[in-house]
Amino acid sequence: MRRNITKVGTSMIQPVELANFFAVFFSAASVILFGTAYALLFAWSRVRGRPGLMPLAYLAYACLFASVLVLGFTANLFVNGFWTSIVLLMLVGYLVAPHGIWHLCVQTHEQEHEDEGTSVKVYQQR
Amino acid sequence: MSQSQPVWWASESLWRKVAIWVTGGSLVALIFLTFDTMAYIKAGGINVPAYSIINKRVGYEFNEEHNRYEPVIGPDEPLFGKMLSEEEAKELVSKGKLNVQAKNCMGCHTLMGNGSYYAPDLTKSWLDPAWGSKEIREDQMVAFIMDPSDKLHNGLGRKMPRLGITEEEARATVAFLKWMSAINTMGFPHNFKAIDQSDPEPSASATVVETVDVMDTGGAADNAPAQQ
Amino acid sequence: MATLGVFDTANLNGGQKLAIKYFSVALALFGAQVLFGMFAAFQYIAPDFLYEVLDFSVNRTVHVNALVVWLLYGFLGGVYWILEDEAGVPVVGLGLANLIFWILTLAVVIVVLVYILVQVGPADIKSIWLIMEGREYIEAPRWADIGIVVSVLVFFFNVAATFSKGKYTGIGGVLVLDLLALFGLYLAGMFYTPNVSVDQFWWWWVIHMWVEATWEVIVGCIMAYMLIQTLGVRRKIVETWLYIEVAMLFGSGILGLGHHYFWIGTPQYWLAIGGFFSALEPVPLVAMVVHAVFDSGVHKLKSNNHPALAWTIAQAAGNLFGAGVWGFMHTLPQINLYTHGTQWTTSHGHLAFYGAYATAVIAFFYLAAQKSRGNVWMSGGLVGDWKWKWALAFQWIGMLAMVMALLIAGYEQSQVERAMEGATWMGYFAGQSHPWFIQGMNWRMVGGWFFSLGYVLLVWDILTIGKRETRPSQVLAPAAH
Repeated sequence: MRRNITKVGTSMIQPVELANFFAVFFSAASVILFGTAYALLFAWSRVRGRPGLMPLAYLAYACLFASVLVLGFTANLFVNGFWTSIVLLMLVGYLVAPHGIWHLCVQTHEQEHEDEGTSVKVYQQR
Repeated sequence: MSQSQPVWWASESLWRKVAIWVTGGSLVALIFLTFDTMAYIKAGGINVPAYSIINKRVGYEFNEEHNRYEPVIGPDEPLFGKMLSEEEAKELVSKGKLNVQAKNCMGCHTLMGNGSYYAPDLTKSWLDPAWGSKEIREDQMVAFIMDPSDKLHNGLGRKMPRLGITEEEARATVAFLKWMSAINTMGFPHNFKAIDQSDPEPSASATVVETVDVMDTGGAADNAPAQQ
Repeated sequence: MATLGVFDTANLNGGQKLAIKYFSVALALFGAQVLFGMFAAFQYIAPDFLYEVLDFSVNRTVHVNALVVWLLYGFLGGVYWILEDEAGVPVVGLGLANLIFWILTLAVVIVVLVYILVQVGPADIKSIWLIMEGREYIEAPRWADIGIVVSVLVFFFNVAATFSKGKYTGIGGVLVLDLLALFGLYLAGMFYTPNVSVDQFWWWWVIHMWVEATWEVIVGCIMAYMLIQTLGVRRKIVETWLYIEVAMLFGSGILGLGHHYFWIGTPQYWLAIGGFFSALEPVPLVAMVVHAVFDSGVHKLKSNNHPALAWTIAQAAGNLFGAGVWGFMHTLPQINLYTHGTQWTTSHGHLAFYGAYATAVIAFFYLAAQKSRGNVWMSGGLVGDWKWKWALAFQWIGMLAMVMALLIAGYEQSQVERAMEGATWMGYFAGQSHPWFIQGMNWRMVGGWFFSLGYVLLVWDILTIGKRETRPSQVLAPAAH
C-alpha cells in the first residue's frame, strides 16, 4: 500500500509565479527565435562564404543562451536536477545542432558537387 | 560523371536504418509506458478512483508534502443519499459519460482541460463554490443541466442551451462529474478553491472516518491520505 | 492535345484525375470550416446569435471536423497525384478508388448534416453509433469511423499495390509505412469507455500521432516528390533527407505525446517525458532552416510556379512560428498548468494547423491547377496574378490578426481565470469578461473577415488561374548539377 505514495510522489515541478508569466512566454519565444536566427546566420555565413557574418551568428546564440537562462529561472527549472539537465541540454544542443546539420548537408550533397566543380566546394571549407 | 559515396554517417542506407530504429525504439518505449500508465488510470488505479468513490465525500486541497493540489477523500457522503455498489456506481457514471458524449459537452466545455473554451472547465465542477452550499448542490446541478437557459450566467449573455436532458440523464451526469473530480490530475487546476464541505459540527466527521479503501482494486487510497 | 490554359483532364494521369476530385472537396470543406468558424467566433461577441438553432458546440464541431477532413482530403489527393509518377505504373484499382471517393464524400455529407440537424442524442450507446461521439476532432459517429477505415484500407491497397507493381522508391516505402501507421492509429479512437482518463489517453494517440507525426511525414513525402520533379534535385539526396526527417520527426514526435499527458490522471513521469521532448521539438525546425539556406545557396532555387513557391515559403514560416514559437511558449508543464485549455491553445492551434498544413495543401492546389491547364505559365507577369497575391496576403493578415488577438486573450485568461481564480466557474467568467478578452474576441472577428475574403479570392483564383495565359510553363534551366 505504501508504495503508492512513492509512486505518486512529490510534484516534480514548481509552477510559475504569476509575476513571471510574461518573462516565461517571452523568453521561451526568444529561445526559438534566436535559435532560428543563429541557425540562419550560421548557414548563411558558410554558404555565401562570408565569415564576417559568423560573429553575428554567435551573438544570436549568446542571446539564446541568455533567454534559456531567463526561462530556467522564471519557469523554476533549477529546482531539481532533471529540469536543470534539460536547460543544459538545450544550451549545448542548440549550439551544436547547426554545425551537425551543416556537415550533414555538405556530406549528403557531396556526390552532387562532384560533377559541378569549383564554386560550391569553396564554401564547404570551414 | 564521377560519383563517390558520401561518408558513412551521411549515407542513405545509414539514415534509413536510423529512421527505422528510432521509430521502432520510440514505439517500444511508448508501448511499455502505456502498460505502466494503465495501472495509474484504470478505474481503481493509482490516480483514478473506483467508481464507488461517489459514495464518499470528495474534496480538493493543496497537499504541502506533494506540493500540489490533490483530491481528498472523506467520509461516506453518498450521491443523492444512496449508497451504491461498485457495479451500480459504474453503471451510473457510464450513463453520465455517455450523456457527456451524446450531448457533445466538449463542443463548449473542457474536461481535464481538453475540449472547447466557450464554457468553464468541468474537471472540478462538482466542487465549484458557485453551486452555493453542499446541501443544495446536487439539486442545483440536476436542475441546471436539465434547463440551464434561465439560470444566471454571470451577465455575459452566454447561455447553455436546453439539450433535452432527462432527470435520469442529469443525475447520471452529476455522478460522472463527482467521479471525475476525484481523479488525481497532478495539480490541475492549480489554486482551485473548492466549495465548503465541512460538517456543521466538527465532531461528526472525525468519528465517521474509519476506512479509505474505497479504491479497492489498486489500494490507491494512499494517494489521498488526508481526511477532511 | 488540350488547349493551353483551359482546364482539361486530358492533361492528367488517372491518379491525378482522382486527385482533382479530392482537391475540389477539400477546397469546399475549407470554406465550410471558415463559415462555421465565423459563426462560432461571432457567438463570443453576440451569444444569442443562433442560440438553440446552431449552438456554439455545433459550429465548433463542424469547424474543427471540416479542418481535419479537408486536410486529409488534401493529403489523399496529394498522394494520388504523385502515385503514378513515383511508381512508374498506372494506379492499381483506380475504379475502386473512384467508387470509394464517392462513398467517403457521401458519408462526410451525411455526418455533417447529422451534426447540424440532429445535433445530440440520448445518453445511450446508440447515439455514439449513429449521431455523435462527442470527442473533439473525432466526433464522427462509429458507423462513419468504420466507413473511414474501410475507405482508407482501399486507399492503402491502391498505394501499396501500385508501388509493388511498379517500383518501390524510398519515398514510396516511407509513404506506405506512414499510411499504415496513420490508419492503424485511427483504430485507437474507436471504442467506448466510461473512464475519462483512459478515453483521453487513447484519444491523444489519434490526435497527436496524426498531427505531430504521421501527417508531417506525408507532407514530407509529397514535398520530396516536388523537389525531385520541379527542381531536379537528385533522388538519392532527397531520400536521404527524407529519412533524416523521419528520424527527427518520429524521434521527437512519438514520445512527444507526453506533453498531452500532464493533467489527465496519468502518472507524473509524463511531465518529465513531455518536458524533455518539448525541448527537442525545435531541432527539426533548426535543421530545416540550415538545410533551406544551404539549398538556396547551392541551387539558386527557381520555380516555374510562383504561387506554389510562395505558399511553400509561407508553410516554412508558418510551421516555424505556429508549431515552434507558439508551441514552445506554453509547452513546459510549469506554465502549461495555467495555459492548458485556454485561448492560448486556440492561438497556437490556429497558427500551427494553418501554418504547417493548410498552406502545404494550398501549394498542392496550385501545382494541380497548373498541370490541369496544360502546364501553363505561372511565373512572373502571370495574367491576373493579383488574385493569388491578395488571396495570400488577406489570409495571412487575417490569420495573424486572429492569432495575436487570441494570444492576448489567452494571456489574460491564463492569469485571471487560472492563476488568480483557479479555474472555478466564477473565475472563468471573470477571465471572459476582462476587457483584454472582450477586445481580443472583437479583433479575432475582424481577422476572421479578412481571412474569409482571402478564402474567396483563393477559390476564385484557383478556378481561373492561367485561363487567359497563352505561354507555356517556364522551362527552367536544369538545376546546376
